[in-house]
Amino acid sequence: MNTLLAVVLILSAISGLGVVFSRQAIYSALSLVLTVGLLAVVFLILNAQFLFVVQLIVYAGAVMVLFVFIIALLDPAAEERPRLTDPRLLLGILAIAGICTAVYVAASNGVTYDTHCATQSVTCMHAYTVGSLAMSGNPAADPYHTFGFPQNAVNQAGNVQTVANQLFHTYVLPFEITSLLLLVAAIGAVYLTRRTHTGIREEPGGERPSEEPR
Amino acid sequence: MLSPAMFPWILLTAAYLFTLGALGVLIRRNPLVVFMSIELMLNAVNLALVGYSSFLNSEEGQVFAFMVIVVAAAEVVVGLGLLTRVFSIGRELDVDDLDELKR
Repeated sequence: MNTLLAVVLILSAISGLGVVFSRQAIYSALSLVLTVGLLAVVFLILNAQFLFVVQLIVYAGAVMVLFVFIIALLDPAAEERPRLTDPRLLLGILAIAGICTAVYVAASNGVTYDTHCATQSVTCMHAYTVGSLAMSGNPAADPYHTFGFPQNAVNQAGNVQTVANQLFHTYVLPFEITSLLLLVAAIGAVYLTRRTHTGIREEPGGERPSEEPR
Repeated sequence: MLSPAMFPWILLTAAYLFTLGALGVLIRRNPLVVFMSIELMLNAVNLALVGYSSFLNSEEGQVFAFMVIVVAAAEVVVGLGLLTRVFSIGRELDVDDLDELKR
């Protein structure tokens, strides 16, 4: 299982490169399908079966079909590669380096794992991870021994039941607000793609004289 | 069975995918690919949430990841609707060309 997780993580890292560095948009879309599918496998390994199914249906199904459909509809041209002397690219790379450093520092401060320390008392655990806030101090509930597939105690009643229990009790208000969000998104999509009577659709793709590039 | 030592690699992969998505948002010119990079960032966050959920033996991370998936789906619907709208009035598919709200 460890080897499978490592292989899937490495493959998702490689296919993530294809999303950003493909010149054709359709290759980016197909790389994103691969990445999303591999992350779904990671969810399955991490004992989140409900999210595995939701990820496959929503992302690899609905969202990516929408992307590929829009790409086929708009037919975007291939991009040329950015010049390395472009100051915006340099600024972007600097910003990326800053974000990357911050995320890596935060991650490495949060995830330091010490086998010797984890078997000791609660006071030892406070020292090395953000996640120690979630612990009860009960050695039986020590999360560092329940990471992984067969032993995840929260999924004793089944993953779907566990998630639904949270979703419909503790987080029922965000869940209902989600329905409002989806309603607004649906109305917005219909509004944006409606057919108008102002003649916009009568000259498809044509350049308007008043809209020449500056 | 997973060893807890794999958990930092999950977080590092999530951070890597997130920064890769941010890089794509910054350097790509095609707004479709910019949207895909945003999807990549959201997926990276989902990976971190589910990783923490499994590591800390708490199901709340999965609930949050579910919310993120819902928001991502809504964002894609509205964003692609905007793109088709922009393209139908004769603009190029270039984010540098989309610097004003009014047509």
